[in-house]
Amino acid sequence: MQYTLLISENESIYEGEEGGKLLEEVVGKHMALVEEMTAANAYVGGNRLLGAGAATTIKYKAGKGTLHDGPFAETHEELGGYYVIEAETLDKALEWARKIPVPGDGAVEVRPIWQYEE
Amino acid sequence: MADLMDARPRAIAALAAHFGDLDTAEEAFADACLALTESGTAPQNMAAWLVTVGKRKGVDRIRQQGARQRADDGAMEIAQIKEGEMDNVIQLPEAIPDERLRLLFICCHPALALEARAAMALKVICGLPVPAIAELFLTSEATMFARITRAKAKIADARVSFELPPRRDWPERIEAVLLALELAYTSAYADAGKSRPGNEGGELADEVERLTTMLTELLPEEPEALGLAALVTLARSREAARVDGEGAMVPLSQQDTALWDKARIERAGAWLDQAGEAARPGPYQVMAAIQLTHARRAYDGRVDWHAILVLYDALMALRPGAIVALNRAMALAEVHGAEAGLEELGALEAKGLENARPYHVARARLLDRSGEGATALAALDEALGLDPASAERIYLENWRKRLAMGG
Repeated sequence: MQYTLLISENESIYEGEEGGKLLEEVVGKHMALVEEMTAANAYVGGNRLLGAGAATTIKYKAGKGTLHDGPFAETHEELGGYYVIEAETLDKALEWARKIPVPGDGAVEVRPIWQYEE
Repeated sequence: MADLMDARPRAIAALAAHFGDLDTAEEAFADACLALTESGTAPQNMAAWLVTVGKRKGVDRIRQQGARQRADDGAMEIAQIKEGEMDNVIQLPEAIPDERLRLLFICCHPALALEARAAMALKVICGLPVPAIAELFLTSEATMFARITRAKAKIADARVSFELPPRRDWPERIEAVLLALELAYTSAYADAGKSRPGNEGGELADEVERLTTMLTELLPEEPEALGLAALVTLARSREAARVDGEGAMVPLSQQDTALWDKARIERAGAWLDQAGEAARPGPYQVMAAIQLTHARRAYDGRVDWHAILVLYDALMALRPGAIVALNRAMALAEVHGAEAGLEELGALEAKGLENARPYHVARARLLDRSGEGATALAALDEALGLDPASAERIYLENWRKRLAMGG
């Protein structure tokens, strides 16, 4: 079964000189994690997203869409990236999810991907 | 039938792991039990037999639901199970030395809502019916049914694992494990006469005492596990004193302490001492301390109500709730008089307790003590109208007779 791991983080901790160093460290951990997932045949895909400042959202009201500057959820933590992985059970998926580096505040949401009947 | 109950958790755990779905597992288990009765065989390894047959029955069910397969495949000869087939009963690591406890840890998966975890554990492990579970959670049957259904759907949709988690993951499950055991015990204990379905002969109380005792060995560093074991053991220490010769319940304050089991009281005291060393107080430790204070009556003939009131204050801070507030009001009445207790009860009236039997019993007691017989009678009638189990009913009816004669 496939799962997506949606990573939301408070982007502000990566700002400034200190933040830049932290970011470098975190990116390194992500690369190591991708290697580990690939070696375990668990890696399907994934991406880092540009900051929430680059986001545009189409918000719908009764089917009618209007454009908004910014991300959908108005929270301190923004969706910053995702993985798609192959795992036998939720528990295995959670094991991978726990390996995702989140040095500050944030969340990793684990969602099974819809399986189409064959 | 006791064999069947023993085999239930192991068989359900194995079937759930096989089908990845608790509903199918429960249905397959029921089908296998029926097949056992019909076949008239007495297998040596009951659990293994039920799992093997349950797997076939579960497949039949899935096929029937798909409305494709003819019935002939399903009519496999149960008598022909070969010994080798028994091997596929799941082999779980022996980290938790008991099937029920293991299944309990599995049901208490932190990916499920906390209340759903304990509720599901009660249904799957203890086989408690949904209405009884709803009563324990002070919620409606429909809400509880929806909650359990949602949890089961998530297990199937997200593929929650049925394997025992590694020991490092136990702490995040322990809260729900303890809650499930507490509620199972509440359910068993609520019925002094042991007549309710699911609790005939007090099997559930035996089971919970066994499981909580096992937890003290498994998690001796967890003070709340020790606290719950002490709480359960103290309640059990009074079992012989809880019902009189007529089958009427005897309230705690009137119990003959000569009938209390001192060995259990002392074991519980030792667990509480051990828990205290961790210096991490919690609701179960406080509840057990309250019961231990009552138990001291067996040694010095008195009850330290001041201490009990202080403990209830602590419990209100740790785990506020309507029933805790009610018990606190009763302790307050012992210290400051029935009037003060009634005043406190009056303040609780609006908190959804009007349908709770203990509320009306508590009011009756304090009204009776204040000499307000007529109002006490009315409170007793309210309590009697809320479906007490037989031992409590007899007790309340006797009390009512006394009051009616006196008034």
